[in-house]
Amino acid sequence: MYLQKALTKSIRTDFIVEMVQMVSGLLLVLFLWTHMVFVASILLGQSSFGALAGFMDKYELLPVTVVVLIFIFAAHIGAIMRHLPARWAEQKVAWRHAKMIRHKDTWSWLFQIVTGFGILLFAFIHIVAVTYGGISVSLSKGRIDNPGFLIFYAILLLMSEYHASVGLYRIFVKWGFVNRHRLDRVLGVVTLLMLVIGFVTLGVFLTLKVAGGGVA
Amino acid sequence: MSPRELTFHIFRYDPETPEVKPHTQTFKIPEEPAMTLFVALNKIRDEQDPTLKFDFVCRASICGSCGMLINGKASLACKTLTKDLPSDITLFPLPAFKLLGDLSVDTGTWFRDMSVRTESWIHTDKVFDETAQEEKMDDDLSLEIYEAERCIECGCCVGVCATANIRPNFIGATGINRVSRFMLDPRDKRDEQEYFEVVGNDDGIFGCVGLMACDDSCPIGVPLRGQLAYVRRKMAVAGWHRK
Repeated sequence: MYLQKALTKSIRTDFIVEMVQMVSGLLLVLFLWTHMVFVASILLGQSSFGALAGFMDKYELLPVTVVVLIFIFAAHIGAIMRHLPARWAEQKVAWRHAKMIRHKDTWSWLFQIVTGFGILLFAFIHIVAVTYGGISVSLSKGRIDNPGFLIFYAILLLMSEYHASVGLYRIFVKWGFVNRHRLDRVLGVVTLLMLVIGFVTLGVFLTLKVAGGGVA
Repeated sequence: MSPRELTFHIFRYDPETPEVKPHTQTFKIPEEPAMTLFVALNKIRDEQDPTLKFDFVCRASICGSCGMLINGKASLACKTLTKDLPSDITLFPLPAFKLLGDLSVDTGTWFRDMSVRTESWIHTDKVFDETAQEEKMDDDLSLEIYEAERCIECGCCVGVCATANIRPNFIGATGINRVSRFMLDPRDKRDEQEYFEVVGNDDGIFGCVGLMACDDSCPIGVPLRGQLAYVRRKMAVAGWHRK
């Protein structure tokens, strides 16, 4: 026994943090996929996208979503920090280790850290842009027409779908019940599907002619 | 067909002579029929370099002494046939354990510590009566316990574990597998909360990030992923109940 341990009232903290990590991760995946469906509504025509944007506007859903999202992001990052190789020496060990054992899932963990930090930065920029700009077909079109923003969104799409896919895989693997390799394949197909929808949506925006002078 | 020539790239470092920096040394030997790495390493030591350090006892994958990284994959040298490997073979000692020199590591101290921390003994207040007939155990249950008991403590699962490599207090898949064995055993009177105190934390099951290098490496095929998931679910229930 150690003094600090004796003074710790609840030994449940690690368990609770693990749960926060999982639940916040699942909520973020849910958000990511819902977001994708909403954005892909442009595939059904500008009026569908406009209707959804109008619906979000009418009930002030945009600021609510942003605030809730920031909380979930914070919870996820806070919870995940404890597992990360946070110190420089640990980083070096983790990368050297992955190289040494040539193990796919160990590599995907390191990519998970890289994409995690990438998403943090990119999503921040995206959220600021949407929060101050609002949502409409012409605004999205305007951003996608900028080659810098187009590349930005392509990278954000790739990073977030990869991160979500690996994160989901990890949850199922850790809790059991499913066959690992079948799971890998199923998630691979789902992720590919999401990426296809995402890139087609980007393509549609790129070639779009905004109807009615950009009012959505 | 003439035999292949095998090229070994073997990690060399002796902590007693730190002035000689860690490096890999190359040895060449002709392949023989049914040659294992155990045979090959002994040949190298006998014929080329008597200072080469590596561990062996049983040469039959029972003692767990010869775990090492073979072309990056952790396994037992005694059960690895050279014919299953390319002609270039790189050997490294298992990471995460104290390096004694070259391919030899101290797994014993680590396992002793893990045993103590997981309290690897039957906890009961029942007094043993040597005249009484032995208590019977259900066949299926004893087989389930045996599945976990098959662990030979080679340390391959710990060596490949990224968490074990950066968090020295993490008990690894073998530690969690050990706990699962006692959880299954009806003779152990520990309740879920007592187990929670042992493994319901970041040094135990909640420190596992699920990379499953352990499950991919166990040379004797203990179903580690299943054991980890079993303990995780049990400890989640215990954590839920805990006041």
